[in-house]
Amino acid sequence: MKTIRILHMYADMLDLYGDSGNMEVISFRCKKRGIECIIDKYSIDSEMPDFSSYDLIYIGGGADLEQQHISEDLLKCREGIVKAYKNGTFLFLICGGYQLMGKYYRDADGNEIKGLGLFDYFTVAPNSRRKRCIGNIVIETGLTGKPVKVVGFENHGGQTQGVKSTFGKVLYGNGNCSKSEAEGYCEKNVIATYLHGPCLSKNPEISDYMIEYCVNRGEKEHISLEALDDTLEKDCRQVMLDRLLKSR
Amino acid sequence: MKRLLILIGKIIVKLLKLMHRNAGNLPGIVLWHLSRHKAVSMFKVDCPIIAVTGTNGKTSVTNCIAQLFERSGKKIIINREGNNLDTGICSMLLKYCDMSGKVKADYLILETDESHVPVVYSQLKLDTLVVLNFFRDQLDRNGEMETLIQKINGFCKTFEGNLILNGDDPNTARLGRANPHNKNVKYFHAEPYAFATKKIFEASEGRFCPFCGEALEYDYYQYSHIGKFICKKCGFGNYEPYITARDIDLEKPVFTAGGHTYSPKLNSIYNIYNMTAVAAAAKLYNIDQDITDGVINSYTVKNGRMENFMLGGSKATLNLAKNPVGANMTLRVMNEMQGEKELLFVLNDNIADGLDVSWIYDINFSIFQRVTRVVTSGTRAYDIAVRIKTAGYDPAKIVVRPDLDKAVEELASTQGRKFIIANYTAVQPTRSALKRYIAKHGGNR
Repeated sequence: MKTIRILHMYADMLDLYGDSGNMEVISFRCKKRGIECIIDKYSIDSEMPDFSSYDLIYIGGGADLEQQHISEDLLKCREGIVKAYKNGTFLFLICGGYQLMGKYYRDADGNEIKGLGLFDYFTVAPNSRRKRCIGNIVIETGLTGKPVKVVGFENHGGQTQGVKSTFGKVLYGNGNCSKSEAEGYCEKNVIATYLHGPCLSKNPEISDYMIEYCVNRGEKEHISLEALDDTLEKDCRQVMLDRLLKSR
Repeated sequence: MKRLLILIGKIIVKLLKLMHRNAGNLPGIVLWHLSRHKAVSMFKVDCPIIAVTGTNGKTSVTNCIAQLFERSGKKIIINREGNNLDTGICSMLLKYCDMSGKVKADYLILETDESHVPVVYSQLKLDTLVVLNFFRDQLDRNGEMETLIQKINGFCKTFEGNLILNGDDPNTARLGRANPHNKNVKYFHAEPYAFATKKIFEASEGRFCPFCGEALEYDYYQYSHIGKFICKKCGFGNYEPYITARDIDLEKPVFTAGGHTYSPKLNSIYNIYNMTAVAAAAKLYNIDQDITDGVINSYTVKNGRMENFMLGGSKATLNLAKNPVGANMTLRVMNEMQGEKELLFVLNDNIADGLDVSWIYDINFSIFQRVTRVVTSGTRAYDIAVRIKTAGYDPAKIVVRPDLDKAVEELASTQGRKFIIANYTAVQPTRSALKRYIAKHGGNR
């Protein structure tokens, strides 16, 4: 049986808006295919893990206060995470996780939280806590090789700028900044996004892109994933696409 | 100016009445604008005000406290329609005040939305604030949990009145330290019930000490993050309870509080907490014990809070779940019950629900026991179906019926015990659909 190993970082602190649901989706889809999915957790004061031994590192979103709490700890992990990323470990980052991999995050009170600086973007929250990008969002991404519409829910104050390669084009909602055209950041082995919902719940192609990537790490011959019955998930997404895109 | 505003407000209330419309928020919203956002400041209230806030249980506790005074022969004013924002409270006071804005009563008992506590009570003098709990609820409306607690904490810093706090919820208990000079902080507490756990069972808030950041340690969890906690580093959680619920037996159901035994009608742990808060208020205001007995032992709820219906020959229990905690509680009650059952889950994403439905991933569906079929409905019928599927439930046993009447018919198409969970804006339409079904096919409420 093929095994994939995931490190879920700060699950106890960064778990707003059902972000842990993403892990449930991945493990559900692995189980259906007979792929063993091991999810280890790392949090503040855990023993320093061997980041490179994981196929995927996952970080969710949290409130400002929690983000401040973890940022110091995250910086201690910098070397290990950079090495893992260079070794091809997949980074899946939601909201706060996304922001903290950039250069910095400046919160509504002007406090600057240092990011890992793995990528060039940076995030600034507006002075008023009331100004947030909140609502359903639809983007179109080409990450998987063909255009896929991804539906989620965004809720962020931070405005992320200086993104070189975006996750997708915004069809409905805000994206990286208020009323912006693009959403998230991505590379072959990185998805960083503001999409909660949880993000993977009704976007099976994105889950499978990551699972396929993980399964094929270190393999000489390409392993394809067995197709699953995603009728419910796709119907679910279609209902939202019909509602959001047709209302324009 | 004040008199003019009150006159305008009263005219709007009258006009709405002539049009057979309930006043609701509208007069308050108009006055809110005219008074530059100080809608409640124009009222003169000399009697004590008791406010009840928290995520879950506000309506129940407000009603019970009101009854304590009502049955004691006092004249009370209460916001019964659940108008718990500043504008709603303003609309309600407009109906009761004279032309100078004077409100005459012995007590005002006001259910108050968590985010509106500072706004309302910076304008009206508060005698007692009861804080029940803070859970993740409609986050996208209120901003983040911590911001909300900070707001109320800010208010408590200068508040010197009575503060009745749930001592088993770190999110509310922390308010007791906001003003070190306030001698009137009173905690209510409950000893473990039969289903209390050593480990946390459901997604929750407040796992860390708000004062020193240390992980909180729990003797037991009653549900979600509610339980006996302590911070080993700074001692947060080490307080002397004002009143303690013990010998809780939900089978009967009975419990003792302040040395007196009660037999409430509702058999959930949350009701025990709510009623303990009521007992704390009764103790504080020296309510006659017979009256307190009468209130606590007779309190029951309709409006979709553990409300029973007969669909033909099948018993169906409807419960409102605005958030994961509410949903998890219903699932627990369902699981603790023997025999097979079916579930209808109605999920809407209207503005009042919070547009975001991701909270359904904080519901612990993996504990489903003897659930033979699930029907889903509401504007997000598919989302809840996908969620239940992802938890490992057989998708072949899930039926999606976005239309509520069809969903109820589907649910009632088989015999046996039924449970229905509906979120905020889904509850009333679900009740109506159930009543329509009963009218057509038989059964009763």
